Amino acid sequence: MSANVYRRRYAKNVVAQALASAAALLALMFLAWILWVTVSRGVQAIGVSLFTKITAYADQGGLANAIIGSLIIDAMAIALCAPVGVLAGAYLAEYARGTRMGETIRFLNDILLSAPSIVLGLFVYVIVVLPMTAATNGSITFSALAGSIALALIGLPVIVRTTDEMLQLVPSTLREAALSLGIPQWKLTVQVLMRAAGSGILTGVLLALARLAGETAPLLFTAFGNNYTALSPLAKMASLPAAIYQYTNDPNPAMHAIAWAGALLITLFVLALSLIARAVFARQKTSHE
Amino acid sequence: MNDLATAVQSVLQQPADATRVKIAVRGLDFHYHDIHAVRNIHMDISERKVTAIIGPSGCGKSTLLRVFNRIYAIYPKQRADGAVLLDGENILDPGYSLNRLRSKVGMVFQKPVPFPMTIYENVAYGIRHHETLSRPRMDERVEQALRAAALWDEVKDKMKKSALGLSGGQQQRLCIARGIALRPQVLLLDEPTSALDPIATGRIEQLIEELKKDYTIVIVTHNMQQAARVSDETAFMYMGELIEFGNTEKIFTKPDKKQTEDYITGRFG
Amino acid sequence: MKEGTPHSGGVPGFFTGLSMPIATHVADPGNDRSRIDARNDALFRGILRVCALLVLAALLGAALSTLWGGREVLFGDGWHFLASSQWNPVENRYGAWAPIYGTLVTSLIAIVIAVPLSFGIALCLTEVAPLWLRTPVATAIELLAAIPSIIYGMWGLFVFVPFMAAHVDPMLDSTLGRLPFVGALFRGPPLGLGLLTAGIVLAIMIVPFISSVMREVFQTVPARLKESAYALGSTTWEVVWDIVLPYTRQAVIGGIFLGLGRALGETMAVTFVLGNAYDLSASLLMPGTSISSSIANEFNEAVGLHRSALIALGFLLFVVTFVVLLIARRMLRSLKRKEGNA
Repeated sequence: MSANVYRRRYAKNVVAQALASAAALLALMFLAWILWVTVSRGVQAIGVSLFTKITAYADQGGLANAIIGSLIIDAMAIALCAPVGVLAGAYLAEYARGTRMGETIRFLNDILLSAPSIVLGLFVYVIVVLPMTAATNGSITFSALAGSIALALIGLPVIVRTTDEMLQLVPSTLREAALSLGIPQWKLTVQVLMRAAGSGILTGVLLALARLAGETAPLLFTAFGNNYTALSPLAKMASLPAAIYQYTNDPNPAMHAIAWAGALLITLFVLALSLIARAVFARQKTSHE
Repeated sequence: MNDLATAVQSVLQQPADATRVKIAVRGLDFHYHDIHAVRNIHMDISERKVTAIIGPSGCGKSTLLRVFNRIYAIYPKQRADGAVLLDGENILDPGYSLNRLRSKVGMVFQKPVPFPMTIYENVAYGIRHHETLSRPRMDERVEQALRAAALWDEVKDKMKKSALGLSGGQQQRLCIARGIALRPQVLLLDEPTSALDPIATGRIEQLIEELKKDYTIVIVTHNMQQAARVSDETAFMYMGELIEFGNTEKIFTKPDKKQTEDYITGRFG
Repeated sequence: MKEGTPHSGGVPGFFTGLSMPIATHVADPGNDRSRIDARNDALFRGILRVCALLVLAALLGAALSTLWGGREVLFGDGWHFLASSQWNPVENRYGAWAPIYGTLVTSLIAIVIAVPLSFGIALCLTEVAPLWLRTPVATAIELLAAIPSIIYGMWGLFVFVPFMAAHVDPMLDSTLGRLPFVGALFRGPPLGLGLLTAGIVLAIMIVPFISSVMREVFQTVPARLKESAYALGSTTWEVVWDIVLPYTRQAVIGGIFLGLGRALGETMAVTFVLGNAYDLSASLLMPGTSISSSIANEFNEAVGLHRSALIALGFLLFVVTFVVLLIARRMLRSLKRKEGNA
């Protein structure tokens, strides 16, 4: 009787553990599958023309204008969201600790972190693209600037949160030490605390870049796309994700091959950034013992 | 104003003494949130002497020390009432500028906390906020401070290196150098050796002996031998109250109060 | 340091004859400094506060701008917009029910698949796997969250859809599809595309979010609690099911809602594999549409009322995800805040 109960419990335990391991294995398998497909199909289409020819040549072309466009849009997006995000994070950690206002903003920032990116794209469409179109009588409509604002909104909460957390990790004795020398709080924040949390804050910026570089949906109706190379922030601009989207929707298999090459570039970029961010973060952790 | 008047009254009742009083504490109460952490303290801290504050943990000794440069003010819901007269002026008066207070009263903390900068910058950073000095004058001031903190010989060849690479004892002396670089009159030491090994502790204690020629030093310590070794006067606190205060030798040999005797003989705490 | 004339405030005569020195300072240089510092501090604080308020402005702006952009449809058609399943750009009639249905169904499928999977992963990584293996596996699974969603979309369209069409769809049709009642859900031609495929792709996407929350909260269970259960002879499974899970229930539900919020708003991964059909079908094997994929597919060709209807859809999506994420964050609040945004 009791041996029977014991055997049943034991069997249940073994089955549960086996299923749990199978779940982890399944997730790893999907990761491997997706990465393998991206790499194997992407590598086939990677060649010189991918980086030298523009999308106007379609299946005879490359992604040069999309790569340049992505670099410009992503750089502008980070330039917009990094300073704002770092300062907002510093506000939460240094000025609004324990206040209701601070708690509210922290809470809403967490929501913004997982808000649907397509809605943020619509938001920028309504507040940037439409007014710009109206103001210029249609000569400027979609623009790289609008695209980078949309992406900045996606990167912003990542930077706010990381900066906030990293500054909170800085021991409070460092604050006391600086204040006891008569250093005012703003100097303390900028020159001592941000330096102490430097690599942690950098982690946040890298993660934000990784996050926004892969975004597609908000770019469709902000930066739009362009088959030629555009450099002006007020022009419609091609981007890697938007070009991939367009090519994937095309029935021509030669276009799909180029799309896979673009997908490989983005994936490599994003995964490399996440791994670098992790490494930088590990360094930050050890510097606080 | 009432507080100050009472404080001054109580000063009048103090017997005149040969040593100059640097800090006079009058009726000091300290609250955090609803906790009454320090109760009705009266004490005179003599100039160019080392005053030790001892007592079991949680007795309010660190809290008392942190009132002397108002560092507690950075936290919400902490409040000090009463009067602390530094050279006769009440530093708790909101009109007393924090800048002036902190340039007169330096502080060294339990754990060494170098800034994430070079060794040179660690010392120069504080000076720069209060004075504008030419490069050679600044170099001179930094060297003076490091010499005074008995660290110069060890770091003079690596001034441009990060301060985080120094040993714990060196970091703590750097923090002392950083504090005295502002040329304060009072130096507050909050358990400055509790994170250090015995050799580093010995060097710091030696340094305290040196520094007292120029500075009024208040040291909080949980180590009674240390208090006995370095201080001229000792205050014993228990549960937020000042139980006994007087000459160190007397406190450690024949204290007036039973509680003091119990504590220094290790019968409680 | 500097000895000057007596302090003019206070009561100078009062101090004479004391051991106490007389207050000394003429002009207080610290006071000027303090004033400058205080001014700079206030300025700095103001700038920081404005930056922090931008977070609030972004959320509020997203809600208001989509409400404004969709006003013609939202206020013109009102309930009809929500309830009608007719989406006809030719006749300029728009009903949101089909995309709403598609969004809800795909997200539900994703949750049904992802929750047990994530629980298994968390269990494996906190109790079963050898210690040296836990961190690398956890990192690898979190990398799933770092892969851009358009990659999931492409993989879904070019690899997973054919796989579903060749293996899974026919199998479901011939097994579960034969059952009474629930059978209707799994009957249909082997298209590969459809609600089920989209749901599975979403599930893979949200697994890293849910599993890392679960893993983290499982680690917060005090060791003494688990030890005392083990001491009574409980098996690992019993400890997790009877002790760990009840102890962490609130945060686990929070993690699930967080995943749900992600699934509801995801665009690129589902757009390619949904099939973009506005027909409502009982079967999960049939094509459908979702709010986000309708917007992504049609926005740039839409004008007038059509565009307004798409923006109105965006507003609905925002409100729904906001509420879901609000619940998620409330439940996760007590927790140390850091889950897979890497």
